[in-house]
Amino acid sequence: MTSTLEYMNKLGFTEQELASRHAYFQLTGEDLARLAGLRSFAERHNDEIVEAFYQDLLLKHSESRLFFTDQAALHRAMTAQKRYFLELFSGVADLNYMENRLRVGTTHQRIGVAPKWYLGAYAHYLRLISERLFGDMGYSAESQQAIRSIQKIIFFDMAIAIETYIAAGLDSLARHQAAIRELSTPVIQLYERVLLLPLIGTIDTARAMQVMESVLMRVVEKQAKVIILDIAGVPVVDTRVANHLLQTTEAVRLLGASTVLTGISPQVAQTMVQLGVDLAKMYTRASLEEGLELALSLTGRCIRPKEG
Amino acid sequence: MQSGQIPILRIGTTLLASIQVELRDTSAQAFQQDVLKAIEKSRSRGLIIDITGLDMVDTFVARILTDTGRMAKLMGTETVLVGMRPEVAATLVRMGFSMQGVYTALNVDEGLALLAQLQSSQARD
Repeated sequence: MTSTLEYMNKLGFTEQELASRHAYFQLTGEDLARLAGLRSFAERHNDEIVEAFYQDLLLKHSESRLFFTDQAALHRAMTAQKRYFLELFSGVADLNYMENRLRVGTTHQRIGVAPKWYLGAYAHYLRLISERLFGDMGYSAESQQAIRSIQKIIFFDMAIAIETYIAAGLDSLARHQAAIRELSTPVIQLYERVLLLPLIGTIDTARAMQVMESVLMRVVEKQAKVIILDIAGVPVVDTRVANHLLQTTEAVRLLGASTVLTGISPQVAQTMVQLGVDLAKMYTRASLEEGLELALSLTGRCIRPKEG
Repeated sequence: MQSGQIPILRIGTTLLASIQVELRDTSAQAFQQDVLKAIEKSRSRGLIIDITGLDMVDTFVARILTDTGRMAKLMGTETVLVGMRPEVAATLVRMGFSMQGVYTALNVDEGLALLAQLQSSQARD
């Protein structure tokens, strides 16, 4: 789980960025002072607005209702909401404030509140608050300005939340990619000091490097004497792939172990020779079965039928 | 680095040098000198160079190590390089330097076994 602080760094939330945002959203000191001045208005209407917000919107929608499974969860959410809304009228929008808003984004992302719910809810909230505001102050220049300041801080907020959504999404994408990478090089211990890496799917340069790295790591980790690379599942073996395999074999030799290449089909053998790739330095076998026999004999063992 | 900084131990007819410090150009050359002198003095048949402690081996050092093996061979001693780290192996191979002609083993134990095997096959010839 990425911490709030890591997100702050990832998103580049610094004093400089803060100043740039204030300028871009035209959120001035005047606006913040005006918001602070509206604090008593907000406190007066907060309970009522949040109640209406839940009754009219969140609980009426079958999908958003699912977020509130029980009364306790609902109560917790409403308390947080009230605090959250009051913070809009704190008259401060500093880095601390940004961090707070960012946490809201990550929480929503984690529990699965989609951006549409977040944005829709905010639009509704803005409507509720302007109704109350015009009710209290009438349509005056003052109330118009107040609404404008509220809009600014709300959009300032939404930008942070949306960016956090995206960052958290990219984060989970990166985690999935790491998982796939790991799955694509499953080095298996077949027997004492004999490893097997079945290669399946296309091998590009990035994957070849990763194959080499995990092969070398596992050979040293397991102190393996032989590693079998089975390429039966690799659709195309061209010069590039062959060179990667040769490099891996060389590196494995430097560690003091051997490589056995298996799963070489007639087509692959034909291409290799036609391409002029020299695999003479490698141990090669047509099938995994023969490869295993060779690997065992290299470790001084053999498979024999049971006697008697 | 002066010569004599990497201890070379003699065990029977085998020499064992374990490199625990980063090898620089001059220290690598000094090491080569020391090894060859030790071979001359001890009439050894095998040499094990343990590089488990090396995080980085550039092509210059790799060449010195390879050459040392060839020189030792001329003096009647087979060399086995042991304990190379995965990162080092990957880097050397990517740079196109795969230390042809050098025997390798996973660790000192394996290196000793390989030397014994080499010597017995030589004795048969």
